[in-house]
Amino acid sequence: MRDIYHDELDAIGSLVICMAKSVAVAMERATAALLDANLQLAEQVLGGDASVDALRNEIEERCFQIIATQSPVATDLRVVISTIHLAADLERMGDLAHHVAKIARLRFPEHAVPGEVRAVFEQMGEVAHSLITKVIEVVDGRDVELAQAIEVEDDSMDALRRKLFTIVLSDRWAHGTEAAIDVTLLGRYYERYADHAVAVARHTTFIVTGERAA
Amino acid sequence: MAKRIDAKDLDIYYGKFLAVSEVNVTIEPRSVTAFIGPSGCGKSTVLRTLNRMHEVVAGASVRGEVLLDGEDIYGAGIDPVDVRRTIGMVFQRPNPFPTMSIYDNVVAGLRLQSGRIRRSELDGIVEKSLRGANLWNEVKDRLDKPGAGLSGGQQQRLCIARAIAVQPQVLLMDEPCSALDPISTLAIEDLIQELKTTYTIVIVTHNMQQAARVSDRTAFFNLAGVGKPGQLVEIDETQKIFSNPSQKRTEDYISGRFG
Repeated sequence: MRDIYHDELDAIGSLVICMAKSVAVAMERATAALLDANLQLAEQVLGGDASVDALRNEIEERCFQIIATQSPVATDLRVVISTIHLAADLERMGDLAHHVAKIARLRFPEHAVPGEVRAVFEQMGEVAHSLITKVIEVVDGRDVELAQAIEVEDDSMDALRRKLFTIVLSDRWAHGTEAAIDVTLLGRYYERYADHAVAVARHTTFIVTGERAA
Repeated sequence: MAKRIDAKDLDIYYGKFLAVSEVNVTIEPRSVTAFIGPSGCGKSTVLRTLNRMHEVVAGASVRGEVLLDGEDIYGAGIDPVDVRRTIGMVFQRPNPFPTMSIYDNVVAGLRLQSGRIRRSELDGIVEKSLRGANLWNEVKDRLDKPGAGLSGGQQQRLCIARAIAVQPQVLLMDEPCSALDPISTLAIEDLIQELKTTYTIVIVTHNMQQAARVSDRTAFFNLAGVGKPGQLVEIDETQKIFSNPSQKRTEDYISGRFG
């Protein structure tokens, strides 16, 4: 019964996965562009963000229509409301990849990231990739346990950011103010990226359990 | 005025056929409880056992207890007519007495039960009941006209006025809006919200959104299986039922995943 309605809910779910995968690719390319001063990759990220934004708009519009016409209840209602929220988080994650790529392009042909913090950004890129990969699994399989793992992994991103601060604030920092600002902002972008991944995980947990995270 | 209902271990039969089994439910005073569930699951049957209307059907019987503020309405020496006066009922189709005036419709129950009452007293009851049913302003200038001349929504409110004229403590409503247009439906729903400050209300509805809109608690009934009796699957706060029900069968039904 209500096949069209349930097909539409499934279709919206597929759009969310598609959006998350686009975000994953964007951050992967942005990190590579940053570490390798690769202008071409940076441009790809900057050009691709519009499609992530468009997906978010489409998801929001279709959720709106479902509420207007189908009166979803229970799990369906939680799916629709949470999807609107988590699509906003995914869009923001896309924006943060965009910001990383923008700094990479701004400093090209130089490297935006000095050698001594390169390893930290490599790790941040790895954590970011691992997070979005888990996010895709969590959203696709409504996996509450994996959602908890995302929270733990976010802590390691926070630790990496603190490490960046220590390096930039030390007396041995020899790259000047501009590089310090770049590094601080970049650290902030990765850290926020991880926070939004946590938010997506929490929205998914709410879909499954009906309980909001404390 | 409003009383609490406790149904305990209710088994409801038509002849030898067990229609509904093992219903245990508490209905709080001054609240609205909605019964939802697919056709044939026994929700109307349960409703009708709450004021002994079920036994009007030939061969129908009930096992278990229905306590009204602790007193079993199926107890020895209890007069079913008294029960039905205390626990009023409004039906699916508005059923005013067609040849009676609006005025006489409202006081029909009173005249049956109390014999002669002074005209001035009756006038007061008619006004109070019609005001209670949100109909007074629409009919006060034509009380002597036939009830059948009113619109469907007005007729249903007239039936509610007739039900509350005898000052019941509980109002049972069996799909009171299913024959009404959306505007009349909303008028009745608003009225239910006002009535619940005075009465205990139980409403059977096929319209789940109506249950969500008007009730404090929702009970979901379903058949236990093909050829099996109906049963109460879950009763909880309405908000809980429609946002995160405990039973998967409830979730499937309200999301349209049954069948």
